[in-house]
Amino acid sequence: MPAQTRDRRRHPVQTLITAGITVLVVIPFVWMVLLVFKDNASILNDPLALPTSLNLDNLSRALDTLDLGLLYKNTFVIAALALTVQLFITFLSSFALTRLVYRRKWLANAIYVFFIAGQAIPPFILLFPVYRITIELGIQNTYLSLVLPYVAMSVGFNTLLFVGFLRGFPTEIEEAAVLDGANLWTMAFRVVLPIVMPIVVTVFIFNMLYIWNEFPFAVTLISDPEMMTIPLAISQFKGQFTIDYGGIVAASLLFIIPQLAFYAVFQRFIIGGMTAGAVKG
Amino acid sequence: MKWFSSRTNKVALIAPTLAVYLAYIVAPIFIAAYYSLTRFSGIGQPQFIGLDNYHRLLDDPLFAIALKNTVIVLVVTLALLIPGAFGLALLMRRSVRGMSAVRAINFSPAIIAPILVGLIWVFILDPQIGLVNNVLRAVGLEALALQWIGGPDLTPFSLAIVQSWQSLGYIATIFIAGLTLIPDELYEAAALDGASGSQKLFHITIPLLNETFKMSTILVITLVFKIFETVLQLTNGGPNHLSELLVTYMYNTTFTAGEYGYGMSIAVTTLAITFLAAAVILGLPALRRRLARTES
Repeated sequence: MPAQTRDRRRHPVQTLITAGITVLVVIPFVWMVLLVFKDNASILNDPLALPTSLNLDNLSRALDTLDLGLLYKNTFVIAALALTVQLFITFLSSFALTRLVYRRKWLANAIYVFFIAGQAIPPFILLFPVYRITIELGIQNTYLSLVLPYVAMSVGFNTLLFVGFLRGFPTEIEEAAVLDGANLWTMAFRVVLPIVMPIVVTVFIFNMLYIWNEFPFAVTLISDPEMMTIPLAISQFKGQFTIDYGGIVAASLLFIIPQLAFYAVFQRFIIGGMTAGAVKG
Repeated sequence: MKWFSSRTNKVALIAPTLAVYLAYIVAPIFIAAYYSLTRFSGIGQPQFIGLDNYHRLLDDPLFAIALKNTVIVLVVTLALLIPGAFGLALLMRRSVRGMSAVRAINFSPAIIAPILVGLIWVFILDPQIGLVNNVLRAVGLEALALQWIGGPDLTPFSLAIVQSWQSLGYIATIFIAGLTLIPDELYEAAALDGASGSQKLFHITIPLLNETFKMSTILVITLVFKIFETVLQLTNGGPNHLSELLVTYMYNTTFTAGEYGYGMSIAVTTLAITFLAAAVILGLPALRRRLARTES
């Protein structure tokens, strides 16, 4: 008898504790939503009072202050470029590491281990050196200055997932394709790529989220307001809105809500990617 | 696939990834190590000074504060998060209706940009307008309405709470993945032998999750050594650098104070401490076994 059956019994205490923890986890979000409808006087003098109406002044002030179009454009252009490049190159290198035949097998394995070790490197040691490289290349305040480190930071995770999947996948289809006269590129893109499509989606979503949230490289490499990404703009709210707390809350919600929506849609891939990266890495 | 395995093909397929990786991950580590041995203010050439920066580190009271704060955040986060996430995993493993939604909700803070998480928690922890102190005052616990952020002592504890909030559901998910790998037969056999719930917990679940505990501990260490944005939002290291962590102290020394060489010596030391902490966790059981043997 499977264990799940035992668990069909009601566990009122457990359910209560679970609900309690979940409420605690949600409170910070709920608190922001409550504050956004209150004016600054109420936030300062009577913080616990519930909002009396659906007052949208804070939101409209935040929308006036922020150039949402520019911020989303910058962040998503960088993400699109970085994702295109990283998916292309890490797929091909993982394909080569798992499907080509090496006389020195240890070498292919050493490259694999070398790549996934990148996951253990915290970004902070890289900030100043990457800043120097960016200046040497003369690409400060360009999309490229962030695209390159974002691609590099993805190598460990992408290799882990692609190689892990390909190693476990039989090669019969590919052998048949060879007999049909497929060349290297047909093989990579027409035969193997469709097989790893589920991994491509996970890698895409996971890295999309990384770039969307990434702050340390952005603050180090971008100083031009025209090139600002979403996290950079958020870091300046306190200076921009000063004591307009309602404005800060509203501006924050303008970015929290799209992230939660993205999470709601791609939950399965995000949770799968984050736990796979942690468990296998 | 021998047909395609020419050296040219291998190089063509692996070279782009290898090039980006070498240029932006591997080379920077060596560049950081090099600068850590120099004095460099951004103008002119870096001046080689050997290990002077590391000597200076040993006598730097601000570095000592940053190190102490980082250790507090690490210890408190581990103490909250490992048992908390394990407990939550036990609660959330049951497949009853609505549980997948509960799991998804508890996981959600992990996907919010850290820079936003910091800002959200300003409105929870701020001594004047924050939720915590206002609730405490409202229920008459004025004495407990402390300076959670911005004061001289409590910020590291607050940082640990924020980090625990962000990662609780995430780590719990990893524990659930570990729990599903334990075969049901073990519990059934134990039940036949009349084992109680807590006996099963301590003699089956926890020992078999040994690897998961180790892995989550290492994950929490890496998460704590990445805390940066939260400090920036809550206190920006203030007052007077008292709430600085190793990472923020490194960042401020490097980019705000412009002491690039000294900043890199902090960066290298921080990386070494991270790896050391992970190595200790990984090596701990082996060490304990050896100690047990020498004692007997």
